[in-house]
Amino acid sequence: MLPFFFFSLQRSDNEEQSGHGEQRASPARLPFGKKQLPPIPKNAAPITKPVTTGTPAQSANGTHASYGPFYLEYSLLAEFTLVIKQKLPGIYVQPSYKSALMWFGVIFIRHGLYQDGVFKFTVYIPDNYPDGECPKLVFDIPVFHPLVDPVSGELDVRRAFTKWRRNHNHIWQVLMYARTIFYKINTVEPLNPEAAVLYDKDVHLFKSKVVDSVKLCNSHLFDQPKIDDPYAISFSPWNPAVHEEAKERMFTYKRRPEDHHKGTQVSGLSWVKPGSTQPFSKEDGSPQS
Amino acid sequence: MASMVASGNRDGQPLVPKGVDPETCMIVFKNHWAQVVKILEKHDPLRNEANAVQNYVEHMLFLLMEEDSGQAGAMGPILEFVVMENVMERLFVWSLRREFTDDMKLEQLKMYEMLVGQARQPLLHHKPILRPLMMLLSSCSGTAAPQVEAELVLLLNQLCCVLAKDPSILELFFHTSEDQGATNFLIFSLLIPFIHREGTVGQQARDALLLIMALSAENERVAKHVAENTYFCPVLATGLSGLYSSLPTKLEVPNEEWHCLHKEDWLKMPSLVQFLNSLEFCNAVIQVAHPDIRDQLVGYIYNGFLVPVLAPALHKLTLEEVMTTTAYLDLFLRSVTEPALLQTFLSFILLHRHESVHILDTLVSRINTPFQLGTVSLALFRTLIGLYCEDVMLQLVLRYLIPCNHMMLSQRRVVRERDCYSVSAAKILALTPSCCSPDRSPPPLRQLDSILFSKGAETPNSTRATGKRDTSFKGTFCVVYYEIYLDVSYLHYLYDARLSISGCIQACQVWSALYDGEDPPPEKYQPGVLEEPALTRTQMPNTEPPAVNQLELEWDDSYDACPVQTAEAPVESKPPQQPPAEPPKHIQEMRKTAIMLVKGTYIEENEFQDDVMVYDLVAKKDARDVERAKLKSRGSESESTQQGSAELPLKNGLSLTLPPSLMAENSMKTLEPKATGQTDCKSNLQNNNTAAAELGDDLLAQYEELIRTLDSEAGGKQVKTDAEVKKPVAPAAEVEEEEEEEEMDFTSFSAETPEPEKVQSPFGPKFCSGSVGRSHSVPFTGPFVSVLLSRMENMLSNSLHVNLLLTGILAQLAAYPQPLLRSFLLNTNLVFQPTVRSLYQVLATVKHQIEEQAASRKDFPELITAAQHWLLARETSFMAAGRHSSHGEAGRILKSSPPPKPKAISLDRTDVFATVLFTEFLKELAAIAQEHSILSYIPMEE
Repeated sequence: MLPFFFFSLQRSDNEEQSGHGEQRASPARLPFGKKQLPPIPKNAAPITKPVTTGTPAQSANGTHASYGPFYLEYSLLAEFTLVIKQKLPGIYVQPSYKSALMWFGVIFIRHGLYQDGVFKFTVYIPDNYPDGECPKLVFDIPVFHPLVDPVSGELDVRRAFTKWRRNHNHIWQVLMYARTIFYKINTVEPLNPEAAVLYDKDVHLFKSKVVDSVKLCNSHLFDQPKIDDPYAISFSPWNPAVHEEAKERMFTYKRRPEDHHKGTQVSGLSWVKPGSTQPFSKEDGSPQS
Repeated sequence: MASMVASGNRDGQPLVPKGVDPETCMIVFKNHWAQVVKILEKHDPLRNEANAVQNYVEHMLFLLMEEDSGQAGAMGPILEFVVMENVMERLFVWSLRREFTDDMKLEQLKMYEMLVGQARQPLLHHKPILRPLMMLLSSCSGTAAPQVEAELVLLLNQLCCVLAKDPSILELFFHTSEDQGATNFLIFSLLIPFIHREGTVGQQARDALLLIMALSAENERVAKHVAENTYFCPVLATGLSGLYSSLPTKLEVPNEEWHCLHKEDWLKMPSLVQFLNSLEFCNAVIQVAHPDIRDQLVGYIYNGFLVPVLAPALHKLTLEEVMTTTAYLDLFLRSVTEPALLQTFLSFILLHRHESVHILDTLVSRINTPFQLGTVSLALFRTLIGLYCEDVMLQLVLRYLIPCNHMMLSQRRVVRERDCYSVSAAKILALTPSCCSPDRSPPPLRQLDSILFSKGAETPNSTRATGKRDTSFKGTFCVVYYEIYLDVSYLHYLYDARLSISGCIQACQVWSALYDGEDPPPEKYQPGVLEEPALTRTQMPNTEPPAVNQLELEWDDSYDACPVQTAEAPVESKPPQQPPAEPPKHIQEMRKTAIMLVKGTYIEENEFQDDVMVYDLVAKKDARDVERAKLKSRGSESESTQQGSAELPLKNGLSLTLPPSLMAENSMKTLEPKATGQTDCKSNLQNNNTAAAELGDDLLAQYEELIRTLDSEAGGKQVKTDAEVKKPVAPAAEVEEEEEEEEMDFTSFSAETPEPEKVQSPFGPKFCSGSVGRSHSVPFTGPFVSVLLSRMENMLSNSLHVNLLLTGILAQLAAYPQPLLRSFLLNTNLVFQPTVRSLYQVLATVKHQIEEQAASRKDFPELITAAQHWLLARETSFMAAGRHSSHGEAGRILKSSPPPKPKAISLDRTDVFATVLFTEFLKELAAIAQEHSILSYIPMEE
């Protein structure tokens, strides 16, 4: 059985909390205002192009390009909201503070050969997303598995996503895939041939190796996060003084959205009867009747 | 006497020193009373004897006031004595017997006011005290002396406060009234005449009434009494009508920018302040009162104020009057907060028909008037769509989108799609005119900040060889920051978009449907069902049909701007109500006024400053009417032309998509007199027939010319630019969000598997649904959207403030989370029916106009810079004034007093200002599109 533990997201203290607070782990917003340079002096060369009349073609592209980072940022935010929406069982992810292209995650295996395994991993998203290759998923500790590289810990994602297609492929699918491999073992073209061979030839030995691997992973659970980042996922031993209250809140406070937003909320109006498209069709009727 | 008493008390030196024992007080009181009784019993007391009574009573009242109640809430001895001896009534009767002057009333009122306000034990529970009070009050009813009135209202207010604290007295108030043979609730009835009073008296009376209203919510008897036995509600409602009639019928508009009544405007108008006070009171009553009272009041307001007073006022004869009423209506809507009252106003706007035209339709049609009426109407609609009211949005926009006829059949599932990669935002931003490219504007116009974006430079692949496990990873993924200079304003737009969308999402949670292309189901609400009055009536017997007779919407250029709609539809398929009914009466009247003005036989008493504009309008309208008639009379001819155009596409795949928009643009140009030059219009009017005939010919000629050009130069330059600008864009790829079970088939993610659907050619679906989809009706996104878009299309000639309002309204509409609306306004991938104009198309047209303008005018870039500087200064001054929290330039609320006029550029250069605004609006829209891609998809419970 797993020891009691608690994992938390480190947050740097100087980070300003937005109004959304803990409502959901917010991916790193553009850190503007914090890291800005002094204002550009007038006539600064790189931005101020001399105005030339009648050459519209060249700058049209420039417009486009300068918003590029926004598109990438929002694409990743959209991916992240998709992950939230999927509610993947036993999988938690959190984009890094430093780069939206790097997500920290942890996966809990609840039954099967890898039962009780808690595997931390990092997802690396190519910076030409979504037009590049598929994201990489690397386990912090290379878990013993035919599809996980025994040295780098990288999962063979590409076999499931031979070609990454925008609109069709999403990061939640990669996460889902990472979970599936622990329940349904595939030994074709393995990254870890030893594991593959053992699974096919000597399941008992395979099983015991898996148990060892799970133990190893779990023994490193409380290690410092491998990548120093305020949003890295870190585990700490169960400490009632710190965690009890939070646990209590998780179990008692079933948040209802209506209650949650009360007070500040702008309320809309509707007198439309459900199923009707007529205004003022609700029973309570309109005054002129 | 009471005044003396009161002053004695105010000095802080009570006549009875503290600490005197109650028994002594009692003895003093009894002694005084004995003296008083002697005098009371005399038939004809002397003057000094009367004064003596006054002094005694004064002292006695203080003793009574200062007395504490006995043990366990029992009466104190003095009070008991007062009750036993019926002291108060005997005193009152005595004063009645003497000359009961206003002064006497005043004094007695003050006496009770003091007693009620300051006594330490409850007094009103005792009939011997209550009854004389009631007798006094009823003797004061109908008094004219202002002082008495003031004192009376003050006392009534105090009594209501006591009632509110201790509702158990309520029964006594009713009973006491019954004793007098009346079943009325005296203190209530006495307050009613003061409801609409100005100043403190009115305010106190209204406050007191509100206390009773709050009481009514819990007490059936009070509620029933007020609703059934009093004229409270009718008085309130008719009072509104009365106060409304004293409002100025024409506002003095401070400047051309003015478009709505701000607080600083109406504070200067006492009659308006008074009206708003009463409206606010109605609002408060509806908020606190018993539902019976609320419903009654709301009914009276509808039938006693809105229908008989406001509706005709909205249809007055002159533009100024109508504009004024519109501004009032806007102000009223902004003042009312209580849902039930808002419902009353809104159902009046949405459902009431004045002379068989819905108020809403009339208001929508006025958006397109070139006068200040158009601007004020825009402001009204900004208020309306800012209410987040489903009924309003349904009538204005959504019901036209529900059938999904505005898009290709295959596109329906695109409605709910999420724009994961900001494709629409990129497309919108790509419309930025080259003259406004961010690279061209130096600071401070463009506030740049360096922003650190980061990306992972390396992936851990490189460490594969090293073999060490744990440590080898540290630092291999190094984050590389690269600096990007970004327009800070875009960050602000994103921030604003986030606020406005999330606010909107929250507000719309109370709505009845999602409006996502499935709920309500489009099949169930096809246009025939939705728009045809007869059918609707049978379906929903109790609601008025929402029919819109398009031709009733006069001055709505959008219809003329799309001649395709009328021309393309085969004559037989036109709905029966299509033949032009007489224009609504108000418009006929207005026209009559205008025409008489033109002919010089009509002189209005007041200055009619807009006469030139009216003149212009009439000219335009007449020309158009003639033209319309002409097109109709030549039915066969135009039909054959249509035939020609319909056949063309078969030869040339492009043209089927192109003609409508091109024709739209072209005919716009033809119809709109180029400049609003007076001489043009005059001559137009003089040779009305010939001119119009030429105009009509001109249109047809141009149309034919256009078709020919298209045919011959299909791949040519012009077509290319236009195609670039206007063609609906096909989705880059199909988006599939499949519901995956836990056991996924991951092979489906790989490219080897054939895609379920091929990428569609942008023109592919047009052919099939062009014939099928529009079999019974021409897709139409509703008059509101068309009017907005057609005004948007004229952005370059609109004044700055009109454009601010327009962009503000469109931005607000775009913030709505309903997929139907969101996809219609923001999804640049959605393929629409050829006859449907999308916001993106209109923006593309405007960009095109701007590029042309920029290319033809040498000074354009300098002017742009000047305009940007001025707008920035204006923005800064607003920020400094602290009026606004939003950062956006578009959608800015204008102040009544404009900032100083720009020096380097004339405000008449609307094209220049519009260009700057257009560029900002693109950013605003793109930001909204981007935020939608995140916010609208997070389920609320997350």
